[in-house]
Amino acid sequence: MSYKFDFAFLADKWPAFVAGAWLTIQLTILAIVLGFVVGTLCAIARVYGQPLLRRLVGAYVEVIRNTPLLIQIFIVYFGLSSLGLKLSAEVSAVIALTVNMGAYTTEIMRAGLQSVQRTQLEAADCLGLTRLQTILHVVLLPAMERVYPALASQGVLLMLASSITSQISTEELTATANLVQSDTYRSFEVYMIVAVVYLALSVLYRVGFWVIGQILFERRRRLGTSL
Amino acid sequence: MKNSLQRAIAGIAFVLLSLGMSAHADTLDDIRKAGKIRIAIDMAIPPFGMTDDKLQPTGSDVDLARLLAKDLGVELEIVTTTGPTRIPMLQTNKADVVVSTLSITPDRAKVVDFTVPYADHPSVVAGLKSLSIKDLSDLDGKKVAVVRGTTQDTDLTQKAKGAQLVRYEDDATMALAVASGQVDILATARSLLPAISKKNPARTVEPKITMQTNYLAIGVRKDEPKLLAWLNDWVKTNLKNGKLAAIYKQYHGVDIPTQELLSKAGN
Repeated sequence: MSYKFDFAFLADKWPAFVAGAWLTIQLTILAIVLGFVVGTLCAIARVYGQPLLRRLVGAYVEVIRNTPLLIQIFIVYFGLSSLGLKLSAEVSAVIALTVNMGAYTTEIMRAGLQSVQRTQLEAADCLGLTRLQTILHVVLLPAMERVYPALASQGVLLMLASSITSQISTEELTATANLVQSDTYRSFEVYMIVAVVYLALSVLYRVGFWVIGQILFERRRRLGTSL
Repeated sequence: MKNSLQRAIAGIAFVLLSLGMSAHADTLDDIRKAGKIRIAIDMAIPPFGMTDDKLQPTGSDVDLARLLAKDLGVELEIVTTTGPTRIPMLQTNKADVVVSTLSITPDRAKVVDFTVPYADHPSVVAGLKSLSIKDLSDLDGKKVAVVRGTTQDTDLTQKAKGAQLVRYEDDATMALAVASGQVDILATARSLLPAISKKNPARTVEPKITMQTNYLAIGVRKDEPKLLAWLNDWVKTNLKNGKLAAIYKQYHGVDIPTQELLSKAGN
């Protein structure tokens, strides 16, 4: 093989990779947290809401899950700006990623909510809990615990998918890679480095989700059994 | 399981082997043997590379590539590329040559060889008519759109430190950013401005500062003396007989400075 690897450019360029990775982390953590809130509210609306509200949430989920993320990002960035609402690339990216994460979280959380046994709802009813109290104190945490692995996976997937926000000029990790690559022409090396960084970020996110899970799900922490 | 692993290893070995072999073969011979030349062109840079209303490739780089293939007596295969991937396409042998508004720069010359120039290519800072921009210091604190990795990007990064560069992946996305109002100023090739203004006539852009004039050439992998010599002769011949000038005039509406280009080619 005639290709000679040369990583010398790293001496100059490593701060760019760090900055890019940091922006990726900021964008995606914001989007994961906001998307989780949106998704959980939508899931509650979809399971317990009025028929009209259920349909609206259903439409949101289907539209977002059946269109490419890149198109959603372009609509937020270019579309809204054509209508006069100028958002920066980073804000547009967070909005689009949140909307996307929200739709997937809705479906995941819906599965969790529906997995809670009917007898538990009846028990809560007998105890005189209101609908809201039932959802908050009886349903939500066990529902989330059941679907937590799927939620964590979706969070990691979103982090990886955030790479395409480089298309609207956010200077995140992939954009940094493209910039360094066009500067040094060491494309093979640059994309190998970035792949390793994404891999490390994925591991970091999974560890983060595990820690949050340990804190959140007291029952699992004590018993170590699945629900 | 074991079988599939062996097959995977054999596959990887084969790929590595063929990579090593193709790097040492003579590309001109390969092209003639295959009866086909693979030319990398960015199809999102009107009027160099674009698609017409029947979705067929057209543009000045496309016509140049067609003429080149015809004169070489082989079939043309257009390999669609983008600004940042033009040179990797060559390096990884996905294309035989690059004809894609590739400006000659010292940095690029370290990794690929250039033929003699076939056109000039002034780059400008352009903006909406209402803006007053006289020199690069007027860009301080303003958003300026560029395509990542282009000469304009490199130039402004060094010379306009106060400007806030907004980097897009290709010209089409950058043009959309201007047309949709995300940015009011951009740095690009002069040749691109009419197409950008056409997207949204209410936001017509005009050249404000000429940054520098680059020269476009065909990019060739290093260590291909036969191919490079053939292409150099071809460019000179077609500059002299006016064929390249005619192509340029047809798509850009301006003449290329043929004499200046030939003098750069050492004729």
